[in-house]
Amino acid sequence: MEPLDRDLEEGLLELPSEPMMLNMGPSHPAMHGTVRIVLELSGEMIQKADVQIGYLHRGFEKMCERGTWSQIFPYVDRCNYVSPMLNNVGFALAVEKMLGVTVPERCQYYRVVLGELARLCDHMICSGAMCMELGAFTPFLYFARAREIIWDIFEEETGARVTHSFGRVGGMASPPSKFFKEMVRAGVPRVLEFINEGEKLLLKNRIFLDRLEGVGVMPKEDALALGWTGIVLRASGVPYDVRRAHPYLVYDRMEFDVPVGTTGDNYDRFMCRQEEIRQTARIIEQALDQMPDEGPINIDDPRIILPPKNEVYTTIEATIQHFKIVMEGIKVPAGECYSYTEAGNGELGFYLVSDGSGTPYRCRIRPPCFATTQGLQQLITGLMIPDVVPTFGSLNMIGGECDH
Amino acid sequence: MATIKIDGREIPFEQGDTIIRAAHRAGIDIPHYCWHPGLSVAANCRMCLVEVLPPPGRPAMQLDILRWDAEKKDYVPARKPKLIPSCQQACAPGMEVLSESSEHVEEARAAVQELLLLNHPVDCPICDQAGECRLQDYWLEHQRTGKRMKQEVVHKPKGVVFGPTIVYDAERCIICTRCVRFTAEVAQDPVLSVRERGNLNEIVVSPGRELDHDYTLMTEHVCPVGALTSSDFRFKARVWFLRSARTVCQGCSTGCNAYLDYDPRSNTPHRHRPRDNEAVNKYWMCDEGMLSYRRAVENRLLSGLVGGEEASLDDALEAAKDQLAGLKDDPSRVAIVLSAQHSNEDNFALLKLGRTFIGAKDFYVSGKPLGRGDKILMSEDKNPNTRGVMQLAGSPAPKPIAALLDAIKAGKYSFVIALGADIEVDTQNAKSALSKLKGVVTMAAHDGALVQAAHIVLAACAWAETDGTFVNKQGLSQRSERALTPRGEARPAWELVARLGKELGYAMTEKTLADVRRAMAPEARSESGPNAGRADAGKPEVSA
Amino acid sequence: MSKLVLDILKSRFGDDVLETHSQFGDDTAVVNPAKWREIAQFLRDDPRCAMNMFVDITAVDWLGQRTPRFEVVLHVHSLDKAHRIRLKARVGDDEGNGAEIESVFPVWKGANWFERETFDMFGVVFTGHPDLRRILMYPEFKGHPLRKDYPAQKIQPLIELRDVPDRFGPFGADEGMSFGRQTHDYRRDEETN
Repeated sequence: MEPLDRDLEEGLLELPSEPMMLNMGPSHPAMHGTVRIVLELSGEMIQKADVQIGYLHRGFEKMCERGTWSQIFPYVDRCNYVSPMLNNVGFALAVEKMLGVTVPERCQYYRVVLGELARLCDHMICSGAMCMELGAFTPFLYFARAREIIWDIFEEETGARVTHSFGRVGGMASPPSKFFKEMVRAGVPRVLEFINEGEKLLLKNRIFLDRLEGVGVMPKEDALALGWTGIVLRASGVPYDVRRAHPYLVYDRMEFDVPVGTTGDNYDRFMCRQEEIRQTARIIEQALDQMPDEGPINIDDPRIILPPKNEVYTTIEATIQHFKIVMEGIKVPAGECYSYTEAGNGELGFYLVSDGSGTPYRCRIRPPCFATTQGLQQLITGLMIPDVVPTFGSLNMIGGECDH
Repeated sequence: MATIKIDGREIPFEQGDTIIRAAHRAGIDIPHYCWHPGLSVAANCRMCLVEVLPPPGRPAMQLDILRWDAEKKDYVPARKPKLIPSCQQACAPGMEVLSESSEHVEEARAAVQELLLLNHPVDCPICDQAGECRLQDYWLEHQRTGKRMKQEVVHKPKGVVFGPTIVYDAERCIICTRCVRFTAEVAQDPVLSVRERGNLNEIVVSPGRELDHDYTLMTEHVCPVGALTSSDFRFKARVWFLRSARTVCQGCSTGCNAYLDYDPRSNTPHRHRPRDNEAVNKYWMCDEGMLSYRRAVENRLLSGLVGGEEASLDDALEAAKDQLAGLKDDPSRVAIVLSAQHSNEDNFALLKLGRTFIGAKDFYVSGKPLGRGDKILMSEDKNPNTRGVMQLAGSPAPKPIAALLDAIKAGKYSFVIALGADIEVDTQNAKSALSKLKGVVTMAAHDGALVQAAHIVLAACAWAETDGTFVNKQGLSQRSERALTPRGEARPAWELVARLGKELGYAMTEKTLADVRRAMAPEARSESGPNAGRADAGKPEVSA
Repeated sequence: MSKLVLDILKSRFGDDVLETHSQFGDDTAVVNPAKWREIAQFLRDDPRCAMNMFVDITAVDWLGQRTPRFEVVLHVHSLDKAHRIRLKARVGDDEGNGAEIESVFPVWKGANWFERETFDMFGVVFTGHPDLRRILMYPEFKGHPLRKDYPAQKIQPLIELRDVPDRFGPFGADEGMSFGRQTHDYRRDEETN
């Protein structure tokens, strides 16, 4: 230590001028799942950011090549694990596109309703988590309580709260339960009540608005070039929703609005998400009204669908059918196909390559939040550290999907 | 070349071919149960029915039938063309055949399949044929519906023991009579026949006899369903867990082409299946050969032996170096024993060590003693590679073991380096003679006379654990693929030779199998010749 | 989806478009890898194609079935014209050498991470990429996991597993999905054969 009474001229004082490296994550309460951001800081301003993902990489695509087509359903569930039903539906649609079959109408409505319920969960938790990271813990708990209502519905229908693996190629694992429509009709308004309560706490809050407005702006062209889709793209002003642009299942019979933002900042993303929750509730209502109460859920093709169990034990034909589908897998015709749906985060694409046998040759999951997280670097450069939290939160990066 | 058309595709045919044979040659699959390319035509399953268009200008042969009309909810008279069994119909130039493209054929196939499954037991979970069963495959391809019979199925005897190797299940049997025809025509022992009529049909063994000829396992091989099962393979493994390696049977010098089915997870071989090869074994293998897959695991040496005690391979090599220390002084006192049981690559490596490096002049050949042969497939010479060894060694030809033992008695040799474990002569004699020598090193995969008599033993890989070339009695060199990973400390014999050579101070340059094969002459490594044993011969080999 | 884009590509690039097909309704064009970026730029800038939205880049490994081995697959989308196209190019030999292709990062920024992922998983090198390093795997990882000759059961622990009895290994002798097709578990030992 230098003696304090020495005269130091000003010019000799050295202030550190290199930027400081700060590591956020991967084990970090605000790094949704596991993302590591290596920040180069000058004071609190971020000069450079390096977003590193891959901590939740589990080798889906490799594992998909080692089983049959139907065995991929548990894998895709665990991709976007906050809205697993949307992944199931997306994958089932992709394989059905390659097979050239369409599921019966009742199944299409069923898939729409379950998918939209999952989307509700996804949006609520995203908003809730973002608020919690900003310090507003209560809305998160309200939204989590609302999610419980939806999870009760799922538990009744599929048997599991989170990763259902309920979709099947050519239908669903089992038909809707007896009081399906009543449960959903009773549950969704209660969910909306919770949403309203949560929003009331947030939307007039000065601190909340200041932290979100004008922060993390993504211009329209950049968003498109980066491959952004879903809510984050719509918040930047591009009215692209796969359900509207390329309707699949029965979305062309539903009336719903697509919320579009203006500036592309965190606030727009948050509000788009909230508005989509309400639109999703509309879709659910219409789907329930239009859904037939009777009719088959699975298509009637022995090459794709498993036979009823009582027949398997008593007739040789059903045994053979069961045997072939389980042991050898569904024989999808050789070729490749890209099929996409609107998942919670945007365009979830499946690029499937088949060689004609029951085992996939290549199953590529195009995760929407992989493209979204790619833009994070651009968003946070120039912001302050505390701005990283709502920016990242509003992107809704799901670790399982991003890292697959 | 005369051609016929199947589904619009022109395929050539040879004189005397039936439609199904011509299609089989061209790679088109017409579903069938009772036809087999190596057996006579029975035409009893009716699965191969196809529609043959009439010659131009002639009307088609039509049958009057009743067809269900869904609108009228009643049967209405209609006509359909008479379908021809493609296994019986000889090809004529310009014939047009409709197989998949005719809806009548599709209906016929679905109907035949339904009738075959009518009384079939729900045995898939316990049936060995599951996974390679024609009934399963054709149901999915052609029928895809349930059956319309609502009564109890006909019950027949199950688990009937036909002989020491075969068990019969009458309920699963579709009476295609492939087994009956096989035992009569190929095995030349007509011991099976069909009993009763109609849906009480079953296969029986002639009274007072058992199914005990030398080719019983082939009846299981030709059976398209799980009616005939081999007691050896029953309930052992599910076929979809098994991988197949294209190997050559090691039972005798016929060198039948085979598939060795093994489970890669536990590295065990489970069975042999014959591989089609017109020139060598056509479609068949004998029982001895089929069961010889066990040699990959039975009686194996897993590590080195020094003076009868187990030792690690490195220790054994060290000990070999000491024992053979006096080798270089007088090369004429070294005898090299090649093995007709080992592949060309192994023998070549030992030849090279002997001739080029040690300078030994005397070569002998060991192998299994002569056994029983027949006119069908089995040859008396029970060694797979006798001709290969003779070809590689050139002249002077290696002499039999008896000559070696005489020479040892005469005091000619002090050292013996041997490959292989079996010898054709009395083992006691051999052991006492060999034990008197200064240094005896054997490289072998199994326990045997040469192993017991040797001072040092190095564990070699069996045929199934390494690629190898074997020359059969016809002079065809055939390549056997690797199936299993080596057990214990076993290494391929050519590698052991290289390491032994290094220990003795010779610069053996071969490090990989590809090196050894490059050093061998082209005939020896099955790349030239009329019947290069690999199906994809001509493709460059994958170098390690 | 109309075949319009395929026709435009063929008329503009002629022989560089090696194959086209529209299986299952997806327009696909296989192009010469040397023209990869040029074609990508054309797709974005040409007003009839106007592919302004980047969707996906990945690769497929056709080891043992085709040479060149890797097929780099690009999906792009046009928001205004509402059409899509899949662009493919084949690179790389059986050992994995020569698997290089131009990066389309200058054309669409979104290719950044997708190309990094393809490099990570397959070893396809994208020349001109600003920062080509591994993205999903850790930097010390050796090999490229999605290649067909990378065994699915292989583990590369960064920290050595402790050698204790009854260790919970990745797969027991009779566990794990073993009925994938036989081509998938290439057994290339490190030793000789």
